[in-house]
Amino acid sequence: MSEHITQLIEETPLASLSDSDLTAIRTHVRDCADCARTFAAAQIATLLLKEGVTEVFEPSPFFHTRVLATLRERQSANEGWAWSRLWRSASALAYSMVAAVALMAAVSFAIPATSSLQELTSAYAEDSVILDQGEPLDDQVSDGHILATLYSVDEEAAR
Amino acid sequence: MDLARFARDGDESAFEEIMRRYSPRIFQFASRFFRQRSLVEEAAQEVFLKAFTELGKFEGRGSMEGWLTRITTNTCLNILRSSKRRPELTVSDLTEEQNDWVENKLADVATERHKASERSEVAADLAARVLETLSPDDQLVLTTMDGEDASVKEMVALTGWSESKVKVTAFRARRRMREKVEKLLARKTKATA
Repeated sequence: MSEHITQLIEETPLASLSDSDLTAIRTHVRDCADCARTFAAAQIATLLLKEGVTEVFEPSPFFHTRVLATLRERQSANEGWAWSRLWRSASALAYSMVAAVALMAAVSFAIPATSSLQELTSAYAEDSVILDQGEPLDDQVSDGHILATLYSVDEEAAR
Repeated sequence: MDLARFARDGDESAFEEIMRRYSPRIFQFASRFFRQRSLVEEAAQEVFLKAFTELGKFEGRGSMEGWLTRITTNTCLNILRSSKRRPELTVSDLTEEQNDWVENKLADVATERHKASERSEVAADLAARVLETLSPDDQLVLTTMDGEDASVKEMVALTGWSESKVKVTAFRARRRMREKVEKLLARKTKATA
């Protein structure tokens, strides 16, 4: 029975207990010291919660202004933070691009112009060697050779 | 919903109007958790700052007041959790007025004349001291359900907890609160003997 009483007290707020439940509890606690203590403590606890309702505060006249100011402050802090985060993630790319441009500039300006002209001249010289070949190869026989060969064969036949 | 949409689009005056409309309710609700004005204001400010950043999540299915009240509940619970202060309360900590209040109420209880009367500053102080020794969840459930007669459904709406969690938390909170008071009464009886 004691457990049943304790369960009743703990399951429902005392103020919401039905009359029959309250009568059952009161009848039981007359003969049970443990449950009487439990019930008394539960009643005091309920009274504390009912009478001890805390004071309700009203917003001060400056509350809204203060919240808006804090909001703006946090927004500007967040913007700064967003830029720094963007820079952190993009800085590697930016540095590598700068390095690439510097390298290209070094290649274009640091190497002397004369050397590149010499390279060009020598390249042309190699081309002329290839183009101005002396005697044609066997598989590159000229028309003159073919005609001369044909005529000589005909002349020999006529003789 | 229009106000929420305008505020979401960056209309500061719309957000100011939201604050003007709902701040009394937020203050009233935060007052359940804290007994100092500065703490109530701090919590209410945090609620509106959070609400502003999360306006995109407000779909207008429920009421704005309900949405803000839930944010208030979570914000206040988080503030209480972070303070982690659960001091034990003993009879020797009670003031003379608090001792008198307990004695009077015990006499009323014994003679079954224990209807709750008007709000009393002494009871509020004592209640706050007892509640301080409990977890934030217990405090919320006790003050809302037992103190202000909120139903289980209202608690579900307020916290976002399941119905069974509300019931179990309330059951355990009542037990803990009752045990604290019982201990206090037992020591008091010993002290007077």
